[in-house]
Amino acid sequence: MAASGNGDAVLVLEDVIAGYGGLTVLNGTSLRAARGAITTIIGPNGAGKSTVFKTVFGLLPVRAGRILFEGCEVTNLGPRKLLELGISYVPQGRNIFPELSVRHNLELGATAAGAGIDIAARIESVMDRFPMLRQRAAAQASTLSGGQQKLLEIARSLLLDPKLMLIDEPSIGLSPRLVQETFAILRDLRSKGMSILMVEQNAKRALEISDFGVIIELGRTRMTGEARAILADPDVGQLFLGGGLTAEIA
Amino acid sequence: MLLWQTSQTINFAQGEFVMLPAFFVLAAMKFGGLSFPLAILAGLALALLVLGLLFKRLVVDPIIRHGVLPLVISTVALAIFLKEGVKEFYAADAQAFPAAWATTNLALGPAVVSVQNLVIIAVAVAAVGLLQYFLGGTRTGRQMQATAQNPALARILGIPVERMILYTFLINAALVALASFLISPIYLAKFTNGETLGLVAFVAAIVGGFNQVRGAIVGGLLVGVIDNFVAAYWSSQYRAAIPLFLLIAVILFRPQGLLGRAEERTV
Repeated sequence: MAASGNGDAVLVLEDVIAGYGGLTVLNGTSLRAARGAITTIIGPNGAGKSTVFKTVFGLLPVRAGRILFEGCEVTNLGPRKLLELGISYVPQGRNIFPELSVRHNLELGATAAGAGIDIAARIESVMDRFPMLRQRAAAQASTLSGGQQKLLEIARSLLLDPKLMLIDEPSIGLSPRLVQETFAILRDLRSKGMSILMVEQNAKRALEISDFGVIIELGRTRMTGEARAILADPDVGQLFLGGGLTAEIA
Repeated sequence: MLLWQTSQTINFAQGEFVMLPAFFVLAAMKFGGLSFPLAILAGLALALLVLGLLFKRLVVDPIIRHGVLPLVISTVALAIFLKEGVKEFYAADAQAFPAAWATTNLALGPAVVSVQNLVIIAVAVAAVGLLQYFLGGTRTGRQMQATAQNPALARILGIPVERMILYTFLINAALVALASFLISPIYLAKFTNGETLGLVAFVAAIVGGFNQVRGAIVGGLLVGVIDNFVAAYWSSQYRAAIPLFLLIAVILFRPQGLLGRAEERTV
């Protein structure tokens, strides 16, 4: 499935300009996340990768350009509305409520649930999927290990059954084995039809499980294409993936 | 303390906040001609409006943008304003405040306990129990806790953060009103009441741990018990120094408080 044409893109950014206060970080960024696929945004530090997510999720104002989700304009909508529409966001770093139980952390993932949704049943089904969360359901979330906390965050973002997940640096601070497990979960979610837009520092590993890649630099889209093609591109390897990759391919 | 957690607000006028609702009630009786029970309701409503909503909208919201320190100084100013305001416009001397219950004493074996004190303890325990139940046992309460622990994340999950913070201010206002109605029959309503109250409450919060409701209760009990024991068995001259002495000891040896957890600072 190619990512050309808006028909099979679940999320589209068109010439978005955004930033913090007087600082412009996204300077006409255009990109798309393909439906039912994993799209990974890579680029050097400070390129605006995380800013893309904050802007899409309504945490930073869009000054120009527009954002479309499922063909509808969602520019400058707030988190609550976007959650209701079917987007979830797992930010970088530790994002739990340390003094609440694992179960209550999960429950808060369903805050934006509509009236007809049985939150308890949703929590049960997420716990079926990640049995560790059931074992630790009553424990304070701060007692979980780093990998378990990341799992809790991902599980929490699934409570509203989103169509699109924005996930920022899922591998940060995790051991190689846990990175592999986390990526396996993302692949599994994709196989169930979810679309995923990911930002990863660990570009090579991320592209290996991705369908598409987007390279941004200085707030602009430098390159976009199939992940495999980007991985194979010697220039990209040199500039964005570290020299090691080029050597490997060559 | 709840305010600190959800909104990083330190209110040095908290003592004055406890002083004021009693005067709302007295004013409602004197100028409004209300009966005592109706005046209590009016006092509670005024406390929610003035010490909850207006405090947040007119003092905290505009000033916290400039940082915590300006807000701290503003609340110190607010404390003086409230104190002097009551002195100028109501009365400079202590006012009798009616009690809603019997003022008799009860003999419990060898000890004589005033009914008032028992009522105060019972109501305080009930209020804390109710608060704890609300915070932990209801979905809204947990959303408030979530807002306190990680406001940025709370927003990302669609929690109405602004509303949760407003609730916190309203709960705070209701609690200070309750405290005011409970202690004023004993200590009388006086414009200076806030001074000692604010200090002792602040010390209790620091001693117990600034980020835990439980901690503040333990801290309050500890300060109260030690204070009275020292006054009874050693010397009442040092009494006023005891909370300060405790404060220094805790800051030196256990800065996070007896029950508190150390705050992590991440960059």
